[in-house]
Amino acid sequence: MLNSLILSYITFVYFGAFMLYLLMMVTGKDFFGRLATFVTLVGLCAHTIAIILRWVESHNLGIGHAPFSNLYESLIFFAWTITFLYLIMEWRTKNRTFGVFVMPLAFLAMAYASFSPNISSRIQPLIPALKSNWLISHVITCFVGYAAFGISFGISIMYLVKRLDRPEWKNIFLRVIPDLSILDNLNYQVIIIGFLMLTLGIITGSVWAHSAWGSYWSWDPKETWSLISWLIYAFVLHSRFVRGWKGKRMAIFCFIGFSCVLFTYFGVNYLAGLHSYAK
Amino acid sequence: MRPFVFFGKSSMNEYKSKKQTNIIWKFFRSVKLTLFILLILAVTSILGTVIPQREGIMEFARRLNPDMFRLFISLDLFDMYHSIWFRSIIGCLALNLIICSIDRFPGALKLFRAQPRPDRKKPFENLPPEQTFIVREKQGKAAERVSSFLSRRFKNVYTAGDQNSRSFYVEKGRFAHFGVYIVHSSLLFVITGSLLGSFFGFEAYVNIVEGDKTDTVILRKQKKPMKLNFEVRCDKFSVDFYENGAPKEYRSDLSFLVNGKDVKKMSLLVNHPVQFEGVTFYQANYGSVPGKKAQLKISRHSGKDDEITMLIESGVNTALPDNKGSFQIAKIEGDFMRMGPAVLISIQPDKGDEIQFWVFKDSEMIEKKVPGMLGRFPKLNPSAFKPYTFYLDDIESKYYTGLQVNKDPGVFFVWAGFFLIIAGFYVTFFTSHMRIWVHLSNMKKRTRISIAGTSGRDRVRLDRELTHLTGNIKELFN
Ligand code: HEM
Repeated sequence: MLNSLILSYITFVYFGAFMLYLLMMVTGKDFFGRLATFVTLVGLCAHTIAIILRWVESHNLGIGHAPFSNLYESLIFFAWTITFLYLIMEWRTKNRTFGVFVMPLAFLAMAYASFSPNISSRIQPLIPALKSNWLISHVITCFVGYAAFGISFGISIMYLVKRLDRPEWKNIFLRVIPDLSILDNLNYQVIIIGFLMLTLGIITGSVWAHSAWGSYWSWDPKETWSLISWLIYAFVLHSRFVRGWKGKRMAIFCFIGFSCVLFTYFGVNYLAGLHSYAK
Repeated sequence: MRPFVFFGKSSMNEYKSKKQTNIIWKFFRSVKLTLFILLILAVTSILGTVIPQREGIMEFARRLNPDMFRLFISLDLFDMYHSIWFRSIIGCLALNLIICSIDRFPGALKLFRAQPRPDRKKPFENLPPEQTFIVREKQGKAAERVSSFLSRRFKNVYTAGDQNSRSFYVEKGRFAHFGVYIVHSSLLFVITGSLLGSFFGFEAYVNIVEGDKTDTVILRKQKKPMKLNFEVRCDKFSVDFYENGAPKEYRSDLSFLVNGKDVKKMSLLVNHPVQFEGVTFYQANYGSVPGKKAQLKISRHSGKDDEITMLIESGVNTALPDNKGSFQIAKIEGDFMRMGPAVLISIQPDKGDEIQFWVFKDSEMIEKKVPGMLGRFPKLNPSAFKPYTFYLDDIESKYYTGLQVNKDPGVFFVWAGFFLIIAGFYVTFFTSHMRIWVHLSNMKKRTRISIAGTSGRDRVRLDRELTHLTGNIKELFN
């Protein structure tokens, strides 16, 4: 199908953008950075078009539904959100170095969706339990949340890398990374977006579960893992109120938090539960 | 970039609680305790996703040694999330929240009620140069312009000063101080709701065959039956399929009866539960069971040329062809001895004793797999009563609908909590108490204007507002 063909090409576009951002940081030449932004933007436009196309194709097949219903579609949307949030961040901070640490997530998600033999890109009809408007809001909020946490993960790596910097090294790569306090604040703001969206995701998910299965919370592994991620990020938000808990420790907890998010996303399919239909 | 300033930090220092020095109080008001509890909750929750909960316990238990198994049982590890210790951790979190909030709330209230003070000096320390400028106008005139401009943009403008220096103060978003309290109390709503649900609610299920009614459901946890105050009848159940065979929609038409009388009819679909007298019904699954009728063929010789087809209800006495006696269907089984649908025929001959034997629907297939088997056992031989041979064409099958039946009086609290958490996040993260001072000082024929501000958390928005105001006020004097 056309949409999945376009989407598989976008993997390479994002990879190219990543290489250009890297080139910018290694050489210190702004030209590569601007080119990288341009390539990312083109990729994002094509990505958007492909998602819309997929929606239209599903309607033409007579099983029309918003393209957020299986692992393939969620990965595609995850990559879209990361790229979208990243471009906003680049525009707001006027700094391109984040690209090196964030774009790999986008292209890895695309590559996994497009080239993993376990993931089918076929458009499938919705089983009755998934036919709900809550599904759309649930998936969108969760994935914007996951994407924000992904970006926070990228920023945390930058933070830990930047800490290594010594002025006498005169290393271009390390020098162009923004200062620690800027990274820390930015990370905090991104986590707030993520926390907000994850909370909304959990809320919409439980309202939906209530209408489909009769219980808003059943401690199924996926629910529990999303709660665990939520607790970790609540921890991160509160840790700023305890003296000396900024910076490095926060970056490390963002690592742990994002690992929980990834487990919520992929790992849980190996544990049984209600959500395993989403395989 | 300027350093972030939290009102959280400053409020912590400014409003140290004086009244309470009690150890327990001190313990529960600490944010360090919060961090500890959050981590403990996260770690224990992981346990529950690794150890099977309720379902699949037996298989897991076989792999444990008996001592471990006993330990697991005594720690409630197989139903961890409902255990006393897990609930106590949540209880500690609730207590932590309540005490922390009570402890800090006066501080927030004080900030909320704070008298406006136009003549503060502190905000002007370390002011970036672009927020100070000089205009060619006398201080008095300039102050008038600034005043009327500010009162157009802000609800209240406070002012202080004299000929030499005038100060204005404006603000917005005072309510932001309460955001965290809304977030935290919302969690209490959710916790209360979930407790109410687990103490006063139930989760049960029931299967109802089309046409049948029941007033008894089976509790999931205790695996015990429970009577409802009313009866439910399944009038009809239907399934739609997609072309590829996947199910598209399930639908049960239900009637509710009180004292035997039909009171209400409702259709139940997946994702569209129905409610009756505080009890909610959800479409959970479905299946089919053998009905009460079967279609039989009876031939008088072994050939099929003179056979008679009859549709017979179970338990109804029917005359045999040629009136050599009568027979009835004693039992109908959907899958008898793992050999498919079968009926038990009971024949009452004119003379002699009753004869019973099973007739299978798939007798030809069984014959192929195990030749001669059916003939060997009189109980399985469809020709056991000579000269008749019985064949089973089909048994009528009926759908049953599988209903999840729940009552949860706490749901309202949970929904209220969800609503409050969203409202609280909005207030906490998207509003901030922004306070702005404009200072005018007399420089003979000119006036120096400085603009400064503080904000709770949103430094970025404050900076934007300050730049905007500076621009606008400069324009006033062009
Ligand atoms: C799962 C539970 C909790 C959640 C989701 C939660 C959520 C939040 C959020 C979103 C904020 C605002 C964060 C920020 O300004 O960066 C906050 C602040 C805060 N929370 Fe919690 N909280 C929880 C539990 C607690 C508990 C148990 C306490 C008790 C001590 C507590 C004490 C505080 C304090 C003192 C602040 C700072 C308030 C201020 O800005 O002055 N939180 N919480």
